[in-house]
Amino acid sequence: MDKPTSTSAPGKLRLDHYLRSFAGILAGLFLLWRLYTALIVEQQFGADTWVRFALSGLILGGMYALIAIGYTLVYGIMFMINFAHGEVMMLGAFGGFFTFEALRFIPAPTSAIPDLNFLDAHPIISVILAFAVGISVSATAGYFLEKIAYRPLRKAPRLILLITAIGASIFLQNLAMLLFGPQRKNVVNPDLLDRGAGWTVTVSGNPVLISYTGIFSLVLSAVLMIGLYILVQQTKLGRAMRAVAQDKNTASLMGVDVDDVISKTFVISGALAGAAGVMWAIHMGLVNHYTGFLPGIKAFTAAVMGGIGNIPGAMLGGMLLGVIEAVGPAALGIDFQLKDVIAFSILVLVLIVRPSGILGEKLSEEKL
Amino acid sequence: MKAAVDKGLRTGVIFGIIIVVIFLIGFTVTGAVLLGKLFGVSTPNNTMPSLTFFTLFMILIGVWTGTTAAQRSFFEADTWARAITAGVSAGAVSGLLAAVIGFLFGDLNVNKIDPRTYLPSVSPESIKMFLFERDPLTGSLMIFALLIFSALAGAVLSYFLRNNNGLKSGARAATDSISGVIHSERMTSLLQNKYARYVLLLVVAAILLILPRTWGSYWNYVFGTVGIYIILGLGLNIITGWAGQLVIGYVSFFAVGAYTFALLTAPEPHHIMMNFWLALGLGVLVAGISGLLIGLPILNLRGDYLAIVTLGFAEIIRILLKSDLMTPYTAGPRGVRDIAGPTLMGKPFISDVDFMYLIILAILVVTFLANRLQNSRTGKAWYAINLDETVARATGINAFASKLLALSLSAAVAGLAGALFASRNQFTGPDDHALMVSINVICLVIVGGIGNIPGIFLGAFALKGLPEILRETESYRLLIFGVLLIVMMRLRPEGFLPAKRPELEKAAAQKPLGKEA
Amino acid sequence: MSACIETKQVSKIFGGLTAVNSVDVVVTEHSIASIIGPNGAGKTTLFNCISGYYIPEQGQIEFYGEPIQGQPTYAVATMGIARTYQNIRLFGDMTAIENVMVGQYPRFKAGWVDAILSTPRERNEERQAIEEGRRLLKFVGLEGMGDTLARNLPYGAQRRLEIARALANKPRLLLLDEPTAGMNPQETDQMTHFIRNVRDELGITILLIEHDMNVVMGISDQITVLDYGTKIAEGKPKDIQSNQRVIEAYLGPDVTSLTKKYQTRKKQRHDVKS
Repeated sequence: MDKPTSTSAPGKLRLDHYLRSFAGILAGLFLLWRLYTALIVEQQFGADTWVRFALSGLILGGMYALIAIGYTLVYGIMFMINFAHGEVMMLGAFGGFFTFEALRFIPAPTSAIPDLNFLDAHPIISVILAFAVGISVSATAGYFLEKIAYRPLRKAPRLILLITAIGASIFLQNLAMLLFGPQRKNVVNPDLLDRGAGWTVTVSGNPVLISYTGIFSLVLSAVLMIGLYILVQQTKLGRAMRAVAQDKNTASLMGVDVDDVISKTFVISGALAGAAGVMWAIHMGLVNHYTGFLPGIKAFTAAVMGGIGNIPGAMLGGMLLGVIEAVGPAALGIDFQLKDVIAFSILVLVLIVRPSGILGEKLSEEKL
Repeated sequence: MKAAVDKGLRTGVIFGIIIVVIFLIGFTVTGAVLLGKLFGVSTPNNTMPSLTFFTLFMILIGVWTGTTAAQRSFFEADTWARAITAGVSAGAVSGLLAAVIGFLFGDLNVNKIDPRTYLPSVSPESIKMFLFERDPLTGSLMIFALLIFSALAGAVLSYFLRNNNGLKSGARAATDSISGVIHSERMTSLLQNKYARYVLLLVVAAILLILPRTWGSYWNYVFGTVGIYIILGLGLNIITGWAGQLVIGYVSFFAVGAYTFALLTAPEPHHIMMNFWLALGLGVLVAGISGLLIGLPILNLRGDYLAIVTLGFAEIIRILLKSDLMTPYTAGPRGVRDIAGPTLMGKPFISDVDFMYLIILAILVVTFLANRLQNSRTGKAWYAINLDETVARATGINAFASKLLALSLSAAVAGLAGALFASRNQFTGPDDHALMVSINVICLVIVGGIGNIPGIFLGAFALKGLPEILRETESYRLLIFGVLLIVMMRLRPEGFLPAKRPELEKAAAQKPLGKEA
Repeated sequence: MSACIETKQVSKIFGGLTAVNSVDVVVTEHSIASIIGPNGAGKTTLFNCISGYYIPEQGQIEFYGEPIQGQPTYAVATMGIARTYQNIRLFGDMTAIENVMVGQYPRFKAGWVDAILSTPRERNEERQAIEEGRRLLKFVGLEGMGDTLARNLPYGAQRRLEIARALANKPRLLLLDEPTAGMNPQETDQMTHFIRNVRDELGITILLIEHDMNVVMGISDQITVLDYGTKIAEGKPKDIQSNQRVIEAYLGPDVTSLTKKYQTRKKQRHDVKS
């Protein structure tokens, strides 16, 4: 009954409620109009294009979902928005990039190809290594982020935590820029996972590419999501995490080392972001210090959309957002330039109209 | 003693990593250059600073390592031995890390491999300097030695300063006498003297009038930018500093003001060619209204959500401004050109000096308004909402309306800054309105002292003025600010110049209490 | 005399928990009424319903005949209901006198335009506010401490400041939530006298949540007892003291048999001795 984001009473609640419903209805009508125009009236795209969009949306969505889970885990356990989470993903992407680069310069000649390098000779090991490095880097970054920047401020008002997170984000972004330079780097995949290669299917007479990197990312995302879900639901750590998220003090009284659990949560959240980062490097092919910013915000949008604090919500939100972003511009008949506007508009709309998200939010009411 | 070694090792690792990072981002060079500047020795562009200064820089870092490692500990008695142990172990570990990195990169140099493909800030020259222009082995040993000895020196020095009572009381006496003079009766009565105040005011006014004419158009430009950021800071201060609502997307109102003004006075795309002052006023008004409109649906959201929603709005506005879709209305990615300069009674006063005066005038006006608001009933309501919104509501404050007012006024001020900015550059485009502007303003408000007007002046100078004076730090500016934000939230969230509450009772107590009402 | 505040079958339900269950309370104006009950009985929840922080699921609340249930807290405050809190909630980073001045907010009218233009209204109201503030501080015994930051004040002074802030509203009804919590007998005594003073001198109706029975029995004109959200007794102090249900609510259901056993044992020992 009590709305989670506004305390006190209905005189305002009524106006509030009307304004929000009004905004929601307006948005809904606008969307319907655009959908109608694009899909029924203009019909610019054939089924094959839609499949292409949907596919790339799912792949993207998988990565968003992994990052979104990170936001939701941290929010659930500390009620803070880890603004620097996108940068954690970026560091993972760099980890993967540097691994590939390093392996590229190790010669592994065979009789057939004398100038073969390690990367192309042993692609599977290389990829595994890249993920190992990327995940470790991000997990470590998450660990130190919590230890240095957030833990001392555990009891501080939320505004201060948010500002610290912003500071951390700025710091990491600029550190990466100063270390590695502002230009975007080209990620060279092993030959096996070449970016343009994949299976081809024919949809309504036209070829649609199902890229190897894409399928790989999608499958890996799914595996990681399932893994995380099992971790949270079935393991002792997961139980501890859920306990701390619900009631820190009681969990502590029950023998849970709260600091440790929070630390581990940041590590896991970082690891997932790192995996997403390496996927991003492999699939998208470009990394620089700014790579984490947009996916970070979009993943946050996804987490809120699914209901922040809610893990399946984050997964759902991520996948949904990926697809909407890929299919959206075409479906709404708007310019592809405005792709990001879709994500930001969803963010704004969700927060205004339904801040608790699709699957509902963790409430935090103050006690009077 | 074990604890000392532990602390030393830990400190050593931390500082070792810091040194490695400093090296990798090229700050070793910058640091040396800055030190040189301190001693009056300038380093021409594209040359390396003198080795002396680099050595000095590393010594300073070493000393800092030592002092941190040798800090007084809860668990052990403060003795010479302990300080030395801590210092040496810290120095050894940091020295080791530095030496290893130096050796590895020195090796690259020897093999003529340029690291700049992957690490653009690490030039062969900077590596050479790091190794004191020796071969890798000697160089790394040297840096190891340097760090160990300076850490030791630092540890010993700090121990000595801490425990030498003669020195401590001497220092205390000196500072006491200085603060005694500052706070003495003479001083305070002098400052409160009406005439003294007027003299001070006249001096400041004279400075403000004369400086823009004399220091050249470059400095007018730089300090003009500082001025515009002061105005932005004063605006953000209302909604974030006083009312306590973080608005990350503050740049949206800057954009609204800038674009309103631009579109009203530029020949394309609309050719309205409105009078400067009228357009300025409209820019402020439209920005204020946009604040009102954006505020209506979002001001009930909880703090962090509110912050992010405004970020969403800011990005939407920027992307739309850049898009082809809106180009017929907003001139798209190319931006709006030939925006009008100010005219006074028909005569354009567009020179950089005149514009500086205009900005100064704007600052004075906004500061005056802000000051009046801060100490008023409205201002107290805002601060109450900041401190405890639930209780503020329960004492009779309509928090929503109050916050809406704060946001509208903040937006209007941002609109003023935007219009002035557009007018001065005679151009504005979507890239002028990136999120970075918001982040800059947030940084300066917080670092200067959240909620307080002198702090904003300080913050703006630090953020926008200093990098010009210390040109070398330009690329490190944001990195430093990121660190500052984190450190300050931990140590000094109230900012460098914390706001002081007014002493109302003392002022009123000049007169005795009246009869019962 | 008319009823100052009246709750009619007010219920507040949180999901599965009924915190307040169909509670009727009538408080006559100019009286001091107390609400007591074991911890978790719903006393503060009832306060929160009256002050507008909660909207009751059921029932009405009338303030001098006007329905106020569901009104936002600032509207309720403007109507003349002020409150203090169980854990003191002052504006810590404001000075004492500023805290009081925030309490005066609904009674003044100067807006932002007045502030900017420094109109006569603004200046007069400001002067008046400070004078009244000083008077209130003197009334609660904090004269001269007006420029101290609220969070730097000692505990007792903070409690009194919170009451001063509430009184600054010139309320007709004052809700005090455990005003003597954390006080020693001497301070409690002073606070009791003070509360009575507020009613006697200022004519304000006072509704009190208290755990200290000396205070409750000493100054209440009427006591309402809640247990698990339900009203189990109401009346004058004498009636409540001997009310069996009340005693059991505080001490547990076995108290009657325990008391009997104790009295029997006491009598036995007395008999043995003599």
